[in-house]
Amino acid sequence: MGGLSRMSTEQTEQQEAVSIPPTGIRMIAREFKKDKLAMFSLTVLIFILLFAFIGAMILDQDVVTKINILDRFARPGDSSMTGHKYLLGTDEGGRDIFGLLVFGARNSIFIGFSITIITSIIGVFVGLIAGYYGGIIDSIIMRIVDFIMILPIMLIIIVLVTIVPRYNALTLVWIMSAFYWVGKARLFRAKTLSESRRDYISASKTLGSSNFKIIFRELLPNVSSLIITNLTMNFAANIGIETSLTFLGFGLPSKTPSLGTLTAYANNSETLANRPWTWVPAALLILVLMLSINYVGQALRRSSDARQRLG
Amino acid sequence: MIPQVIILSLLIFVLAKMMPGDPFTGLIDPSTDPARLEELRQAAGFYDPWYIQYFRWMNNALHGDFGISYMYKYEVTTVIGQRIGNTVRLSVISVILTYALAIPLGLYAGRYQNSWFDKAVVVYNFISFAIPTFVLALLMVYIFGFKLGWFPTSGSVSINAVPGTFGYFMSQLYHVILPAIVQALLGTAVTIQYLRSEVIDAKQMDYVRTARSKGVPTGKIFHRHIFRNASLPIASTLGYEITGLVAGSVMIEQIFSYPGIGNLFISSINQRDYSVITALILLFGLATLIGTLLSDIIMSIVDPRIRVQ
Amino acid sequence: MSELITINDLKIHYPIRSGFFNLVTDHVYAVDGVDFTIEKGKTYGLVGESGSGKSTTGKAIVGLEKVTSGSIIYDGQNITKAAVRKKINYNKDVQMIFQDSMSSLNPKKRVLDIIAEPLRNFERLSDQEEKKRVKELLDIVGMPEDALYKYPHEFSGGQRQRLGVARAVASNPKLIVADEPVSALDLSVQAQVLNFMKRIQEEYKLSYLFISHDLGVVKHMCDTIAIMYKGRFVEIGTREDIYNQPQHIYTKRLLSAIPQIDVRNREIHKAQRCAVEQEYQLHQKDYYDENGRVYDLVEYTPTHQVALNNGGVNYCGKPFYVACF
Repeated sequence: MGGLSRMSTEQTEQQEAVSIPPTGIRMIAREFKKDKLAMFSLTVLIFILLFAFIGAMILDQDVVTKINILDRFARPGDSSMTGHKYLLGTDEGGRDIFGLLVFGARNSIFIGFSITIITSIIGVFVGLIAGYYGGIIDSIIMRIVDFIMILPIMLIIIVLVTIVPRYNALTLVWIMSAFYWVGKARLFRAKTLSESRRDYISASKTLGSSNFKIIFRELLPNVSSLIITNLTMNFAANIGIETSLTFLGFGLPSKTPSLGTLTAYANNSETLANRPWTWVPAALLILVLMLSINYVGQALRRSSDARQRLG
Repeated sequence: MIPQVIILSLLIFVLAKMMPGDPFTGLIDPSTDPARLEELRQAAGFYDPWYIQYFRWMNNALHGDFGISYMYKYEVTTVIGQRIGNTVRLSVISVILTYALAIPLGLYAGRYQNSWFDKAVVVYNFISFAIPTFVLALLMVYIFGFKLGWFPTSGSVSINAVPGTFGYFMSQLYHVILPAIVQALLGTAVTIQYLRSEVIDAKQMDYVRTARSKGVPTGKIFHRHIFRNASLPIASTLGYEITGLVAGSVMIEQIFSYPGIGNLFISSINQRDYSVITALILLFGLATLIGTLLSDIIMSIVDPRIRVQ
Repeated sequence: MSELITINDLKIHYPIRSGFFNLVTDHVYAVDGVDFTIEKGKTYGLVGESGSGKSTTGKAIVGLEKVTSGSIIYDGQNITKAAVRKKINYNKDVQMIFQDSMSSLNPKKRVLDIIAEPLRNFERLSDQEEKKRVKELLDIVGMPEDALYKYPHEFSGGQRQRLGVARAVASNPKLIVADEPVSALDLSVQAQVLNFMKRIQEEYKLSYLFISHDLGVVKHMCDTIAIMYKGRFVEIGTREDIYNQPQHIYTKRLLSAIPQIDVRNREIHKAQRCAVEQEYQLHQKDYYDENGRVYDLVEYTPTHQVALNNGGVNYCGKPFYVACF
């Protein structure tokens, strides 16, 4: 009798290994393997991330951002007085573009990521609550969301950036997060509304689970694939917004290097036309970054929807 | 709609109050006696309770009085009025180009699914979604404006042109084309994706199968039925396009040095010209609201299933 | 006192909002005055067409629908209020089986967690005890043990429904409300699931409230059957009462609509159906009031109640089943 039950335990453990949930890591990996371009985008993305973060650790920020008038607008490949070779030339302050690119990439990525995380947490939470409880709570939340969506958000952020005292990168993150959670809230509310109507939620209610438990243990896992996809696409969008704001001069303070500050050199038509090495690398890096993140996000979206899967 | 306009104006009023300075900064000789300044402030109602100030501001706004521009030293309405024509011209041409581009591309990509044409459209669509406005604008102005010299890189009209002549009109058009193309390339994103997926879905529908089995030629099926059904709800994307234009105009006008109200917004922020800033935010906010309302109205006219109560 | 649940004048109305200000203009009378008693160990059938209010009634009994007025008494308490239900742990004793087996099981949860959910909420068991109990339940519904770590999408409809049954039985309830549990299944699978349900009833001594539009299924499973129409009860009786001596014209109509496979007597059956339909059209006003509303139930025999006009008495004073002249 004991031997039999031991055998069935082993069998059960084998079964544990075999059963995969409807969208797990395996599904996602399979989708990527099938789509060569997604794999390529992912590799490019990882490479850029390594470039930015490891590069930022190797290089010294003070050296890179030090103004060095003598080496103003050096062309790519020129060397400085001290024999240092400028891979991508220098800007109007004589700062190494390559170094600025590394730090700028790190900062823009980090800020974009932070905003994405904060807005996701707020947006998912609000969306779940609004969609699950419905009724008056939903109405109030939706009124607020609808109103914010109508505002010219970018303009208001620009104004706030100029008004707020003691302004720094952190303040920018908070200001942007305060507005951009609404799109997410709307998305997750819609998804929650449709999921809440399904019987397993009703079943959980009759089985005695508390509302809190239902939202986080039953509903959330079924919304998770949407969260991941949305997170990725949003990451790209936020990097785009931050760099756009910094380009106009209303994003990061000028002391903090960002991909936007590099592209802002193009605001001067002289630099734009005749000194492309200052702004083109940053613009291209932004482009490549956003394209690859978006493509990875698309592959993730496809992997969660069985109809569109390639793999 | 009305409650939203009211809340919008309240919000802008609060924003305006948060900006440092008062109505007289920059207008009055700094050496004026501070006591006299106090008198003036009292007279202008600077110390009145906030709701009275709000109503006064709204009242003035409704009569077209937004105060004096600090930068230009004349009325805000005049300042805006000079430039709004440029932005409107740019926006209208952008919208026309957007739809002229999006409709054929979207519909035919859906019809000839998986052909090289469709694949190219999908790639283009993906890029136009992902690329930030300023990156595309910078690259375009650099390549087509400076390096190739095909288009002007700044201004709304050439200096030599004489107002009122045909040459003037052509020069305006010439200056508007490149920025409008950039806006159009970006604006087609949502519409192409929508149209393409609508056509692809419609191909599976029963009414198409019925028509085909009746022997109706394929081209006719597409033109008369599918395209028409897919195109009508474009009205719903119209509102979205307008909001996109509002945000985009700020960026595009800056990069192309195009003297419109987007450009004005940036320069007035930089110069801290608060009366202009306030008026502009109100204007942009209203434009967005109207755009959304417009698409709702068009949708309800066009689709009998949705009717506004 | 074998009464488990008593329902008194249950009403569930949904407001309809329309107009510019979204004001309440009208109501949907989903359930409009229902009186019912459920006893221990018995199987009840609730039959009606779509929109008759049977699912709504069932959901109200389980506690999923908000009740507009009336009471549902269990153990001396009115459980129409959520607070009362929570206090007495009502749902431990009253459970539900849902119609759509795919949507009633959380696709992201394993079978072990799905069936253990009521155990975790209502009882304190160690992991091992829990696993043992779930295995027992799987055994009762005839599912293999290796189903424990699988996901719902790996099973067929009939198997999933059996998992739903196992889950409903887990907390040892006294009443299970089964909302069209076999409507979405193939006929052969239907029989299987129904037989498991019967076996469970014998073993656990539970009551069932079987909600269905399928009179054949209800005949197989239920002792007492109630027919519903437009939110009210039309007739309640034992199996024999309803199938052999239907009194309300609606019941007769419903029964005549059951397809009979008897090729030789096709003409006769058709004639019978037409006769029933004619009777229905003729006697509408006897059985429905001016608004089309069903009358209150009147006792016909101790086990049989029918919704009749005037307390079941004819206009000439005689009981309704006796002709006046």
